[in-house]
Amino acid sequence: MDSLSVQNVNQIYGNGTAKVHVLHDVNFTAEPGTLNLIMGPSGSGKSTFLTIIGGLLTPTSGTVSVNGTNYTDLSKKERDQVRLESIGFVLQAYHLLPYLTVADQFKLVDKVKPEANLTEDELNNVLEMLDIKELLDKFPGELSGGQQQRVAIARALYPNPSIILADEPTAALDSSRVVVVAKLLKDLAVKHHKSVVVVTHDSRLMAAANHLYEMTDGYLTQKN
Amino acid sequence: MFLALKEIRKEKLRSSLIVAMIVLIGYLIFILTSLALGLARQNTDAINSWHVNQITLNANANVDMRQSFLSADNVGKLSNQEAVIGQTSVVAKSNQHKQLSAVFIGLKDTQFVYKNIKLESGHNVNGAHEIVVDTAFKTSGYKLGSQLTLNDDKQKYTIVGFTEGAKLNIAPIVYGQLNTWQHLRGMTSGPVASAVVSKNAHYQNNNTGVKTYTKQQVIDKLPGYQAQTATFVLMIGFLMVISLIIIAVFLYILTMQKIPNYAVLRAQGVPSKVLVKATISQSILLVICGLMIATGLTALTAVIMPASVPVAFDIPVLGGVGLGLLLMALIGSLIPVRSVLKIDPVSAIGG
Repeated sequence: MDSLSVQNVNQIYGNGTAKVHVLHDVNFTAEPGTLNLIMGPSGSGKSTFLTIIGGLLTPTSGTVSVNGTNYTDLSKKERDQVRLESIGFVLQAYHLLPYLTVADQFKLVDKVKPEANLTEDELNNVLEMLDIKELLDKFPGELSGGQQQRVAIARALYPNPSIILADEPTAALDSSRVVVVAKLLKDLAVKHHKSVVVVTHDSRLMAAANHLYEMTDGYLTQKN
Repeated sequence: MFLALKEIRKEKLRSSLIVAMIVLIGYLIFILTSLALGLARQNTDAINSWHVNQITLNANANVDMRQSFLSADNVGKLSNQEAVIGQTSVVAKSNQHKQLSAVFIGLKDTQFVYKNIKLESGHNVNGAHEIVVDTAFKTSGYKLGSQLTLNDDKQKYTIVGFTEGAKLNIAPIVYGQLNTWQHLRGMTSGPVASAVVSKNAHYQNNNTGVKTYTKQQVIDKLPGYQAQTATFVLMIGFLMVISLIIIAVFLYILTMQKIPNYAVLRAQGVPSKVLVKATISQSILLVICGLMIATGLTALTAVIMPASVPVAFDIPVLGGVGLGLLLMALIGSLIPVRSVLKIDPVSAIGG
């Protein structure tokens, strides 16, 4: 079963002369165990694609299936539930809650989704890999941008989602950290059998990708 | 609650400022309510202490006991549920003490109002020249056995008892015999009373020239009573509205600052209700903190408040006012809650 399947998705904003066709007949599949990299210039439709496959936006036409469930048929509340249980968002704007320590960011996930999250050992492994284990008592305001980004990645992984969607996950990281994050995403895909989709400008992630796609003017093409 | 507590603990200064505002408003509302209640009680203490339901006055007295005169025919036949009273304003004078404006209430010693007078000390009136007075006289230096004159009457009256909470229209009451009232009014023949009061809720005096009112109708017509009460109610109402606005504005500002963070949480599937609960809990926690401090300050004020200030700290009433403020907090949090509900998680994507 495909973890994430997109079929004939079109996204059109506005109408008449103000009509903008953002996505054109996009077909895409992210199988478990693969890291899929979607690259493209700004304004090409990458972010719109991400919001649609993440269930935040209903496409004008086409279907999006998550673990066999057609997203477009679900109510807003049901989509919230699917996102909470199955999708981990790693966002460029990480916006950690400023009044929660790093440890509390994970506790919040426990409050909202008490079951099936990472075990303590698994979380410790992620924290060690991201080199943020020593930051558990810190507030976001006490962290650098890169550290906050890594905490946001760990927070997205903590609910143990089967699909990981990342929007420019390495935007605030230096080259050495990019290697770490690339390895982490690859490990999540290969070792933990997750479907990972990364939307990025960062060509340094290309080496880790199983499949490379390019988005140009709303058209998605597979490069390998 | 988790998010609300964490935010309050982290943002101590902001939270303290909101709590400080609520403390000031809560304290002001508590004190104003107590003053309103104190004043209202000083207007009505005596009437309430008689435990009457119906009051018959002269039909032309404009529902004012001071203006009412009833003849024997007006009064008619009374049961043991009814009593006559005579009311007149007096100035109590004594060489040793300052003058006091008071209300003289003349009673018949066979009737229930006389029998129900609760004495703080001394005994009830047994003679035409004996009086029982409100404890306000005690505060002015009068003692049991003190003698005083009333108005320009040369007759000396002896204080034989003190009674608490005997005030009518804020003036202390001087209880005496009905004959003394007639003497003070210079009406030894003719009118026999100012009013007939009855414990019977259905009492109606159908004699000519009189009209029967409920106790509340008479209280509402006490000079200045409604104006005073309405003024305090308006002030308390405005303060409630101000507290609502302050809570709403502060919470709105705090919430708007968190919208990008909340958008990320929404994108990650955190339900709106979690964020709404956090906003409402925060509002309620801050108001409860503020109210607790305001209650402490009010209790302290109650201890140090001079006895001459007409203030009544009634815990059920103040509890009700506190609940009102909590309700305002709930309503105030609805505006930021609306913003939370309108968060578009799409805004979290794309930096």
